[in-house]
Amino acid sequence: MPSHDARRASAERAGDPDPLAGSSGRRLSRRSMLHTVATAGAAGLAATALGAAASPAAAATRHPSPGSGSTAKAASGPLVVHVRDARSGDIEVFSGTSQTRLRDKDLAARIARAAG
Amino acid sequence: MSSHREAPEISKDPVADSTDVYAFVSPDKPNTVTLIANYIPLQLPSGGPNFYEFGDDVLYEIHIDNDGDGQADISYQFRFSTTVRDPGTFLYNTGPIGSLSDPNWNRVQTYDVSVVAGGSSSTLGRGLPCPPCNIGPRSTPNYAALAAAAVNSLGGGISVFAGQRAEAFFVDLGSIFDLGDLRPFQNLHLIPTPAAPGVNATNDLNVHSIAIQVPISTVTRSGRPTIGVWTSASRQKARIYDADAGEYVNAGPFVQVSRLGNPLVNEVVIPLGQKDLWNSLPPSDDKKFAGYVTQPGLAALLPVLYPKTFPNLAAAVAAKTPRADLEAILLTGIPSGIITGFTNFTGPVLADMLRLNTSIPPAKSPSILGLLGNDPAGFPNGRRVTDDVVTIEIRAIAGLTLPLVDTHFTPDGAAKVVTDFTTAPTIDSPPMNAFPYLGVPYDGFDHPS
Repeated sequence: MPSHDARRASAERAGDPDPLAGSSGRRLSRRSMLHTVATAGAAGLAATALGAAASPAAAATRHPSPGSGSTAKAASGPLVVHVRDARSGDIEVFSGTSQTRLRDKDLAARIARAAG
Repeated sequence: MSSHREAPEISKDPVADSTDVYAFVSPDKPNTVTLIANYIPLQLPSGGPNFYEFGDDVLYEIHIDNDGDGQADISYQFRFSTTVRDPGTFLYNTGPIGSLSDPNWNRVQTYDVSVVAGGSSSTLGRGLPCPPCNIGPRSTPNYAALAAAAVNSLGGGISVFAGQRAEAFFVDLGSIFDLGDLRPFQNLHLIPTPAAPGVNATNDLNVHSIAIQVPISTVTRSGRPTIGVWTSASRQKARIYDADAGEYVNAGPFVQVSRLGNPLVNEVVIPLGQKDLWNSLPPSDDKKFAGYVTQPGLAALLPVLYPKTFPNLAAAVAAKTPRADLEAILLTGIPSGIITGFTNFTGPVLADMLRLNTSIPPAKSPSILGLLGNDPAGFPNGRRVTDDVVTIEIRAIAGLTLPLVDTHFTPDGAAKVVTDFTTAPTIDSPPMNAFPYLGVPYDGFDHPS
């Protein structure tokens, strides 16, 4: 798994000054991204973080019931994680009007597991 | 249609679906240009209780290229915001709406306008009111005045309007998408029926218009009077339905989902498998679609659908004669020397834009056939709300304009008269003589009657 610095350097080459920062300046981490309610799609996995209070385990356990996702919208708006390809770890993170693309097999695998 | 429901993906997203773009030197203020972008096609005026409105989550833009590279030098951006005053009622209005601040109006939309130029953005106006939709005589008893109050002057000679208007585009939809039938000529069709007058299928329907009037001097470069104009709509990349809140939430950068410059290009020139891609790209990428313009499928279809009616066109198609005339009309502008005293050429970059030579004054007696009617102030020099773009483009594709670049070609007699026979007078709510020019929208009480 690439380090945060490696990911930052990669994204900086793509024009994002701080790929680990959300639209509000809040730094993203594997932990914060796993504060998710996840849904699985045919072409990939999309996960939203509408709230930031739940633990990864709690988020995962809340997922199975459709419509039972977190109701508290984060002040900075939704954070959406799209696992484009779990096998290669190709992940997109959307927050505010920004987009960050990561390659992290371990993180993708954990999100996939959280999605059930 | 001009660009109504023209591509598979955008046809499912009417709020972001651009339908027509108009660009013309304002006839009553000839030192300004008026740019209009219409959205939300085929509105049935009685379509309540949730009447039509712009998307709060859509970025609407009107772009101007003033140096011929097919990229925006100036972009006017419009973002909308909707407020519900009383969520406890199902009513759009709880009494007659007498003014834009009337508390009886329950679902109110406002918008911000900004301009992006030279890499920086400036706000031109905030919280500007849209008018309500035209509901009927009890709800919107003096609609014309209500809408007139929603014309906003922003200073610097700029006026804007955003809201519902009467559809100004006219076309016989029912026939043209029935295997290219044109009712006045359907006796000549491969599957013939007796000839009949055309039917204006978009009459008595409304659209939502974004209109801006700006001084010509602010959008042109010195020595370059011709501008290229198009509109786009963009959505954020990620959209998820928050079931608990009962609303969609969005995140990520805006990406373009709709584009429109010249009428009918994505509609009938770009093939089905390329339409969604075309909508996502800027005009500067149109080189990859140029083959569809220079060898248009409709030109090949006409001789098949109307046997023995277009023999010269059939021969040109069989010879694979590249349609440099259509390339000039739609992708580069018409160079000087082709039509005496006229040019709207912007350079060699192939880009679908509505090209307007702003140095040509408004016509005193406009022809709905524009340049084909010897009126250089009309389409394809920009586009006025009354221009019969369907007839102009059908005749051009049928070969009427090919002699401009191939003096050996003789157009078929049919190319000079072919039309769907729907004209501006078939519109019940006629255009106005002043900004925003489009007619008063049809009210829901009387339409349909």
